[in-house]
Formats: sequence, C-alpha cells, structure tokens
Amino acid sequence: MRFSYYPGCTLKTTATELERSALKTAKALGIELVEQKEWQCCGAVFPLARDEIASFLSSIRCLATARDKGEKLVTICAACHHVIKRANHLIKNDANVREKVNNHLQLDTSYLGEGSVIHYLEMLRDELGFNELAKKIKQPLTGRKIAAYYGCLLLRPAAIMAFDNAENPSIIEDFLFALGASAVYYPYRTECCGVYLSLNNTQIATDMVEKIVTSARSYGAEALVDACPLCHYNLLELQKKTPQGKPLLPVYYFTELLEEALGLKEEAAVRKDKNES
Amino acid sequence: MYTPQMKELIKKVEETRPYRLGSDFPRMTPEERQDVLKNFHPDFIQSGFRPLKIGVNRGDRIPQELADLLESHSMISNVKLDLEKISYDVDVLIIGGGGAGAAAALVAKEQGVEVLLVTKLRFGDANTMMAQGGIQAADKANDSPLIHYLDVMGGGHFTNIPGLVSALVNDAPLVIKWLEDMGIMFDKEDDGTMITIHGGGTSRKRMHTARDYTGAEIMRTLRDEVINRGISVVEFSPAVELLLDEDGRAAGAVLYNLETEEYLIARAKTVILATGGSGRLHYQNFPTSNHYGATADGLVMGYRAGAKLIFMDTIQYHPTGAAYPPQILGLLVTEKVRGLGATPLNIKGEQFIHHLETRDVESAAIIRECTERKMGITTPAGMVGVWLDSPLIDLIHGEGTIEKQLPAMLRQFARFDIDIRKEPMLIYPTLHYQNGGFLIDENGCTSIENLYAVGENSGGIHGRNRLMGNSLLDIIVFGRRAGFHAGVKTKEVKQNKLTLEHLYCYQREIEQSGAGVVDRVSPVLVPHYNHREALGLS
Amino acid sequence: MNAAEMVDIYVMGKKYTVPASLTIMNAMEFAGYQLKRGCGCRAGFCGACATVYRIAGDYELKVGLACQTKVEHGMYLTQIPFFPALKALYDIESLDPTASAISSYYPEIYRCIGCNSCTKVCPQDLNVMQYIAYAQRGDISRCATESFDCIMCGLCASRCPAHIVQYNVGILARRLYGRHILARSSHLTQRVDEIAGGKYTAGLEALMAAGLEELKVAYNNRDIED
Repeated sequence: MRFSYYPGCTLKTTATELERSALKTAKALGIELVEQKEWQCCGAVFPLARDEIASFLSSIRCLATARDKGEKLVTICAACHHVIKRANHLIKNDANVREKVNNHLQLDTSYLGEGSVIHYLEMLRDELGFNELAKKIKQPLTGRKIAAYYGCLLLRPAAIMAFDNAENPSIIEDFLFALGASAVYYPYRTECCGVYLSLNNTQIATDMVEKIVTSARSYGAEALVDACPLCHYNLLELQKKTPQGKPLLPVYYFTELLEEALGLKEEAAVRKDKNES
Repeated sequence: MYTPQMKELIKKVEETRPYRLGSDFPRMTPEERQDVLKNFHPDFIQSGFRPLKIGVNRGDRIPQELADLLESHSMISNVKLDLEKISYDVDVLIIGGGGAGAAAALVAKEQGVEVLLVTKLRFGDANTMMAQGGIQAADKANDSPLIHYLDVMGGGHFTNIPGLVSALVNDAPLVIKWLEDMGIMFDKEDDGTMITIHGGGTSRKRMHTARDYTGAEIMRTLRDEVINRGISVVEFSPAVELLLDEDGRAAGAVLYNLETEEYLIARAKTVILATGGSGRLHYQNFPTSNHYGATADGLVMGYRAGAKLIFMDTIQYHPTGAAYPPQILGLLVTEKVRGLGATPLNIKGEQFIHHLETRDVESAAIIRECTERKMGITTPAGMVGVWLDSPLIDLIHGEGTIEKQLPAMLRQFARFDIDIRKEPMLIYPTLHYQNGGFLIDENGCTSIENLYAVGENSGGIHGRNRLMGNSLLDIIVFGRRAGFHAGVKTKEVKQNKLTLEHLYCYQREIEQSGAGVVDRVSPVLVPHYNHREALGLS
Repeated sequence: MNAAEMVDIYVMGKKYTVPASLTIMNAMEFAGYQLKRGCGCRAGFCGACATVYRIAGDYELKVGLACQTKVEHGMYLTQIPFFPALKALYDIESLDPTASAISSYYPEIYRCIGCNSCTKVCPQDLNVMQYIAYAQRGDISRCATESFDCIMCGLCASRCPAHIVQYNVGILARRLYGRHILARSSHLTQRVDEIAGGKYTAGLEALMAAGLEELKVAYNNRDIED
C-alpha cells in the first residue's frame, strides 16, 4: 500500500515523537508513506470566511499533488487533517471557491475535489482493516486499561469530517481492541480539551483538562491515548497545573501504543511514562 | 537560441567530442606564451595607449580612455563649496561599497572608531557581486602559502610587488576562516573539507567556491554584517574629489548626492579608496564583464590628490566573455567552467589551446584564433568567437554537475534558450580587470598620508596579470589590513583645515600642458550608452 | 542591420520605439535614459533592476530583471529599484540554528497564507514560498540551500500580502546554515594555526628575497596537481 503523505509543521517541530512512531509503524505494516517533496503549512486553523481563498491554497496544493500521483493523501496531525479535509469538501461543493482557487493556482490539471485525504487511523481501519492489524500484533497490550481521547478536530463538523459518529465514536476503542488493550469509556472522551484557550486563558483550559483527566481516572483508566498534537500538548502540560498533581496520568499518541504492540520498542527503550516526573 | 547555421557548426563540436574526451591538450612552452602575448594581447596594441601628460605619473603609458579622464576638468571646478560646512564628520571614511570597502568597514569598526561608508550606487553594487569563479587560499595539506606565492608571481610574470604577494598568500587562509565564521556557504564535503578546484595558472586545487555565486555570497554576507554592526552607509552619493588638509594629508571627500545633485562635505581622519576598476571605459572598444559603476572614479580623484599609480598599462581580458547571444555580449562566463573541464574549440571543433593557461595567454590565443587564423565562428551581429565546450563537464564529472556547480551560468544562457549542458557556449575575451592601480604597501597605504587604496583600484599585488580567484582574495585581505591600519591610525591624526588646493594645482597643470583644452569633465560616475553603434544605427 | 525590427514600449507610460532585440535596460538607454537607480551589474547577479510590466491587452502582471529581459511590443513597464524592507540586526555567532532563531526576528513568516505570489514573481525562478515554509518549520538547511541563488531584488517582498521580507529571511537562514550547520573545515583551522605559529614566515621571506631567475626556475619546475 502506498500513500502520499503530508506531515505538517507540528510533526517537524514539537510533535516529532508522533511522526517518528507513525512512520516506523507504517513501515512495519508494509505501508509506504511517501512525504510530498514540497508542502507548506496548512494554516492550522480552518478559515471560516468563505471569500478568503488564500488560506487553504496549501491544502489544495497537497491534495492536487496526491491526485496527480493517483494516491490518497494521508495525514497524521489532527489539525492538518481537519483543515485539508474541510478545504477538500469546500472546493468540491462550492463552485465559486473552486473557480477562484483554480484561477489562482493555475495547475496543469484543475483540482475539483476529486482526491481524498484520510487520517492515519482511518487508513488503519479502512485500508488495512483492524482485523488485519490485529493479526500483526506481536506483543498485545493485554490488561492495559486505556481511555481514548478524541478531541474535536477529527470528529467535527461531523458531516464533513465523516470520521466516525461524532457523538459516540468508536474508532480509537476499536483500535485499542486490535492492539489487545481494554478500552475505558468515560463521559468526557469527545469534549473539547480547550487547547485554543491554553495560551490566553490558561485557567479555563486547565479546568477542561482537569475534567477529562479526572473523569478518565475515575473510570479506571491507567493512561490516555490521543491522535492530536494539540490535545496531546494540552493534556500533558496543563495536567501539571491541575490541583490533582502527581502522579500524572500518562498520555500516549496512538502510534506509540501501536509501536509497542508491534514489538518495535526494545525492552530497554520502552520509554518511561513521559509525565512521570 | 542558436541560429540554424550555428547549430550546423555545433555538429562538428559533437563529432570531435568523443575523441577529445580524456585526451590532454599540451600546455604552451614559455616561449610560445611570450610569442602569442606579444602579438595578440591588447596590452601590446600600441594605439590603445598614450603617455600621460600630467600628474605624478607624467610620461607613463596608460590606456587612451583613462588618460582622457585624468586629463579632464574636475566636476567641481566651477562649483562654490563651503569646506567648513561639514555634513559628515567621522574617523574613517570608506569610499566604495563593494567587497573591499565592506571588509575594511568591518575591521575599522572593530577598532572602536566611527566609520562611514559612502557608495555611488547601492551598497553591494560592485564587481565583487559578479565574481563567480571562486577565491584562492592555500589551506590544504598538499598546498602552502609558499606554493601559492609562486603561482601568483608566475601568473604575474614576476612583476608583482613581493611584499604584497606575501601578505596576500599569508592572509588567504585567515580570510577564508573569517568568512566561514561569518556563515559563508562554501562548497564542502560532508566532513567540512573544502571542495577546491583549479583555476587558470594554479598548481594546486585551491579555488574555494559557493556554487557559481561565490562573489555574490561573500558580498551579500559582508553587507548583512556591516548593517548588523550598525556601520553608517550612504548610498547613491559618490565621492567626486578627495579633500586634503593643509599638510597634504587625506582628510575627507566631496560627496555628490546623485538624486538631489547637492555636494556634501565629509571630513575624516583617514580615507580608504575602494572604488573598483575601470571596465566601463571600454578600452579599445572591448565589451566588458564589469559592473555598471566601474568607471575609474577613484583613480581620477586619487590621482588628482597626488597618489601614485602603477601598472596602469596592463589590463586583464577574461578569455571567456559571452559572444552570443548579443543581449549578454561581454558577460562573464566564469573560469570555473574551464576549471571543471570545458575547453575552447575553433570552427572545426578542434582545441587550439590548453584550457587552463593563464588568462592573458588564453585570451591572446583566442584572439589569434579569431583574427590571424580566421578559425572563429561569426554571429549574425558580426561578432566573432570560439566555442567553449561546456557539455564536457557533465561527461567528465557526471550528469547534474553543471546544474549543481554552475546554476548561474545555466540560468543566464537558459534565458536565451541555450542549454549549456547540451550545447557549447560561444565566447570571446572580455575586458575584465584592471591589473594596475594605486601603488600601496602591505597595509594598503598609498603615497599620500592617511589615504589608503584597496581592491581593484590598487596595483602591484598581481603584477601584470592576475590569476582567477585572487581578486576576491585581495579585496578581503587588503580591505581588512587597510581597515585595521586606518582605524588605528585615526587615534594619532590631528585634524586641521580642509583644502582643495591640490585640485587647483592640478587644474593649473592641465592648462599649462594643453591637455585639458576640451570641456571634458571627470569622474564620469555612470557610463552613457545608447546601443546604436552595436546595432549599426547611427 | 539598419532595418532592425522596432517595437513600441512604454516606460512609465511614455512611448518609445526601440529595436526588438534589446533588453529592457538597453532599450531604456536607447531611448535616452542614463540610469542611476535600477541598474547594477547588468549580468543578472545583483538584483538592482527589478522591473514589472504588462503587455497591452494582457491582464497578467509580469516581472523580470531589466538587464536580462527582452523588450516586447506593447510593453508597459516600470522599474522597482528599491523596496522598503525590514532587516533584523543580529549577532550570527550567538544564535542557534533553529526555527526560533528565525521566528524571533521575523515572526511574520507565520503570516504566510500560501498564495505563492513570491514564487511566481521571482526572476531567479526560486521556490520562494517553499523556502519560507522550510523556515517556518525550522528546516534551516533546506531554507538555506533553496534560497541560495537569491539576488535580493525585492520583488517577492513587493508582492507579499503577509508583509514578509523573504530575502532577508533567506540570508539569515543561509548564515545560520553556513555558521552553525555546515561542518567546519579542519584543514583550514590547522593551516590558520600554522600561520599564526609562524610556520611559513621564513619561507615567505626567502621567496621575497629570491632573485628573478631563481623564482622562474622554481615556477617552471613546480609540480601541478592533477
């Protein structure tokens, strides 16, 4: 299986662990992720002004590049995925945007929204299949009680993202089952973590993180797993500011758990829970 | 794009290429070199020169076009100036915003003194920016400053001033280190080993490069650093005359604001002339590779102030100037092209000279091929040239070498639909470098106290012929030396009244000699082109 | 060549009839201009002669270096010899080659909206938007190499809706790369130490004192590296 791959800036700077583990596991699963030769920042936030086409030009460029190669585009960062997927939806459904964007880009072949972008998790579920994934697990995470945290960006707006049932998703839990772990269900797994407020109103964001962590813990979770570098940052960093204090609830990228379950982590190198300190 | 006729001739180049590839053309004997120089080098064309009638070099043989300027009236001879009204009062005044001026500014500033750099055009508008080939320095194990010394002397036909050559080769590695510390992106192996190549007349591969933008890379970095250090720079304000003090020492300059046409007085304790060369005077009607501003301004004002010139009768013609397309006539085809293995060929596709002879010999041989032997290729505009077989480079060093090592050249010709990876270039010698200039010592001091000259407007370092890669080197070596010396010297200079007395004396001498009867005025500052002659229009 | 093909061009709106074979710069001079600004090396290296133009009847705004671009019939042009630009002041030695070294001086790089106007306008055909993208994510090496052929003409900055001065970002990246990322040359350091230690002083003095014949013999018999 071969896909066109868009990393995004965050994976190259603050979330290098996410990219490292994702590429390593993909390789082990026989999935070829070919990083696009040239890509630019997606903008990180999907612009809501419909008359402002410039802000999603980079999304359309990477979609068109993948289209030209006849490949699906794979993302790993939830924020990039959100922006690119919505840009793709917009260009497919809004004739005005479609025309303006193509007039500006002047691609050899106009891009009309015919390509598709999938998140790494979707790739595992829909392209490889969780059943197939389960067969490749070498060190099942048996007995591990892990709580999925979805955040907003992958799920909403539900009709456009079409990632999973936005109110009651199951993809991360199904993923955990494939890895042999137990999934912990708790009420806050799809609530917003407040990351967009974490710099200018840290207290509100911290309160939101505290609710998520406390809830997951109260349902018996030993760790959280997420698929978004923004949530990940927030859950780790702001958790330190919550009154609960230590020991902190560990937070993993889903790819880190996959790496472990595929037996790709050497015993000695199994990272100590990163928020243990 | 080449014409169909030229494309037909290129087929001969392609036919001979396989058998030329890998075979080595013999170098000339010393006697053969002398012979071709004496008969074909423009320096030996007597009508191109005349003895100077006035000034400290009276009687010396210099190019006609330069003599015209030196025997002209000053721009300010009829201008009323108040020398007491000082617009800029600094310690070190640097005239010229090329590589030499910038290097001098940086080191002068380090001496804790006030530095002002004035320049005619933009800061960085200079031949430095255009030097593509590289910069020499003996920094490898199989090389040494001593071997470099021999190459420089031999290249200059042993006419160079030994003390200047010694300073040049000794400082060369220090200069490369200085530039490396500043962040110049020299071409290197992964482990940091410099990738060095030959240039004409070198016995070791000691040419350091930054793709074929070596001079541009050095110039833009020096400029960036001068700005970072907070050194004052005034652009579009050329100096038009030097100011001396009552003791005849350099003490400032009259500046001319090109836009407002005002004259401004700059007073300084020491003055560094770094105004470059004179290619835009088009000696003997040669095309030139030089920057637009290379109009000998510094020579004119320094000479009027009494500074002694040396080697003004020797000009370097770069063997490989573009002869086609006409839009880039005279444009430099970097010597790196030959350094990487491209060879000159005549109309039959045959090599007639080793490709790495010194520049003067290589030029003379090309001129001979095109004139006496009539083996050149004539362009639709009537220009004659020889091929330079650039496609050899990728054959020798592997595909992609031209793209990586010569991006500027590739781009230049691609603009006119010539792919130098597949087609040869058509070249003819172009007026490239003024070997002579003000006589200086190893600190850049001229014969006038507190007046320094560095870079192309100085002479003696290269004797009668400069090797490739030694001018980027000399501007930095002597820029730094003069910057240091001029900066330290300011601390002992006691200033007194500014005068233009030297100008009046010079003026009288012009009138007495009868040389300046015409209404010629200099410096000329910018050339005046109308492109009618080249097009056959009147 | 008296029957040279002539074309009409409009320099800042004023019409001149010039030979079609000329570059914009030569055509302006043919028309009678003596250039002060907007003219430098005349060889495509210095970036002094950035020019914007439109061909009559064509909506597209085109750019080129006046010294490298041929005139066309109906060309309406003006030069942009200067463009105001922010240039940060820094001590290159004290910086670390990271994204923050660039973003602390030029935070506006994150305002890039990816419109690609800079790339379209670059007379050197550089992928300007892409080297800014490299700067954004701290890939200094690629920002440096991708921007290397920049001649700092300023056209990119003139077209940037995000107010980025791309070429100044580029030179900062290149200096960071050259100073802190490229491996340092050990043979160079060694030679500098040798010179400081006086290893060649006596040899140079001997050469300076040598007679002409002696030098010639040494020169003509020196071995030449292959």
